[in-house]
Amino acid sequence: MRRRDEMHKSTPSLKKRIYRDRHLYLMLFPVLLFFLIWHYVPMWGARIAFQDIRFFGENEWVGLKHYRLLFSSPVFLRVFLNTVVISTMKILFFFPLPIALAFLIHEVKSHAFRKTLQSVIYLPHFLSWVVIAGIFTTLLSPTGLVNSLITFFGGEVIPFMTSNSHIRWVFVVSEIWRSIGWDSILYIAAINSIPNELYDAAIVDGASRMQQVFRITLPIILPTVITVFILNLGFFMNAGFDQVFNMMNDAVINHVDIIDTYVYRIGLQKGNFSLATAAGLFKGIIGLILILSTDRLSRKISGEGVW
Amino acid sequence: MVNMRNRGRSQVSLPGIIIHLVLVSVALAMVYPLYNQLVIALTGSDYIAQADGMTLIPKGITLSTFKAVLSFPKVYRGLFNTLFITAFGLIVNIVLTSLGAYVLIKKDLAGRNVFMTLIIITMIFEAGLIPDYFLMRDLGLLDRYASVILYKAVNPYYLIILMRFFGGVPKSLIEAARIDGYGEVRILFRIMIPLSIAGIATITLFYGVFHWNEYFRSMIYLTSEVKWPLQVVIRELVVSQEKAAFIGALNFITSGTAAAIEFKALKAALIIIAIVPILLFYPLVLRYFVSGKLSGSIKE
Repeated sequence: MRRRDEMHKSTPSLKKRIYRDRHLYLMLFPVLLFFLIWHYVPMWGARIAFQDIRFFGENEWVGLKHYRLLFSSPVFLRVFLNTVVISTMKILFFFPLPIALAFLIHEVKSHAFRKTLQSVIYLPHFLSWVVIAGIFTTLLSPTGLVNSLITFFGGEVIPFMTSNSHIRWVFVVSEIWRSIGWDSILYIAAINSIPNELYDAAIVDGASRMQQVFRITLPIILPTVITVFILNLGFFMNAGFDQVFNMMNDAVINHVDIIDTYVYRIGLQKGNFSLATAAGLFKGIIGLILILSTDRLSRKISGEGVW
Repeated sequence: MVNMRNRGRSQVSLPGIIIHLVLVSVALAMVYPLYNQLVIALTGSDYIAQADGMTLIPKGITLSTFKAVLSFPKVYRGLFNTLFITAFGLIVNIVLTSLGAYVLIKKDLAGRNVFMTLIIITMIFEAGLIPDYFLMRDLGLLDRYASVILYKAVNPYYLIILMRFFGGVPKSLIEAARIDGYGEVRILFRIMIPLSIAGIATITLFYGVFHWNEYFRSMIYLTSEVKWPLQVVIRELVVSQEKAAFIGALNFITSGTAAAIEFKALKAALIIIAIVPILLFYPLVLRYFVSGKLSGSIKE
């Protein structure tokens, strides 16, 4: 009772506020309706992961049957491993590069050169993976630029797109091509925010350029690096669906098939809806756990959440 | 943001030269593959067989490949479908995102935290492809443009960006309008949106690039080929290189034009057609995307 009296003094009662804001609720209604239908109805729909689909009558609840099938299937095991391997390769061989690029760009003194450079290297980010896959298949075809160069220098033609030992590296390299520029933006901004006085003082103290990089720039941008790293970790299970989907082919499928492409294939192409939903849900839940735990980690390390 | 760095090393140095060389090579690596596609697309039919990755200047320069590609029904229909989906998609996106952002910046709205939580949950958990597909089927939207126009009609990331812009509009203006008898909808469309043009431009470009590049949901929801947007057509012709589509395209081209055009040139021309609109809007895209990225809400 006491609480209600206090509320009366400061703000109007809940009923009155809702009535006062009735137009606002009406405006918000279509937006909420969209989220309910487009996001929450599918979440309820995902229950078929625990059901057998019946074409007549009610679906039958079968508990974890599809998960037992999934986890005992060598195909799914391979798909899961592929996802982990491809994501790990990207973290190891792609993640540090935008940081290095930001350092290099920071060394450029000419404003015009910097601006031009930045507009050029951001461009690939805006192309669809369909287009990028088209460009890379041309570049890496047996008669494409890369193989022309290899044969020019006396090497053997490499069938990159259909070679099991090369295709995952094609993913890494095309990811670099698409994102090295765009992903350097945050680091460039972080480096730019460092006051010049710090460097001036270091120069007075006789610090070499390398020492300036390792003793000043790197420690200051480290929180940004950690935040971006943690954020990337949250999307670990995606492994870049659009990229893999547009670059994969039958010759390399065993090396590149990831969870998302597997869901598409066994679900929409083979009609094994329950198993596909089970796999998709498994990936969604791992993703959720990763995001929530990385958010915790981020709060601990930098005092700031992921969002 | 211009950082005047006069750290006493204005003289030309070896590390400086190496850094510039590395950066120029990176930039070339970005541009050259695109330029090479343009060269191949412009090369005349007599020379196309020799044109490869190392050709710098197109021989027998001609626009006939572009003409042939654009007269291919799949392609011009695809272009039309993309424009149609993008136009209607953008209207839905902007209206819904503005409505949501306008209401959700009101901190004292009863239930606001519940609504925000419901929206943020959708950012971190998705039910997956198959339930999405079944929803479309159950709504009777399969093979209808509405399926892809409404897909991701409100992107929570963009909603939050627009909320920041709306939050920057002075409260006093809104109060003044309210005293003048403006209703909420009028305040949104007459005050909020005109005063947040940069915000509207930002989300329009975000959604625009999304629609232009979207292919996967279109591919699975739009079952009849005549409804396919350009990216799906490109995927079929360029990426998956399905035999039937390949031969179909070649037959059409060879019977429709005097000279046979190599599939290589056709592919290159398609890729260029998909890139041109991005280049046309690129100055705007750069300006608003970079600030959007720096505002810290964009994961991709």
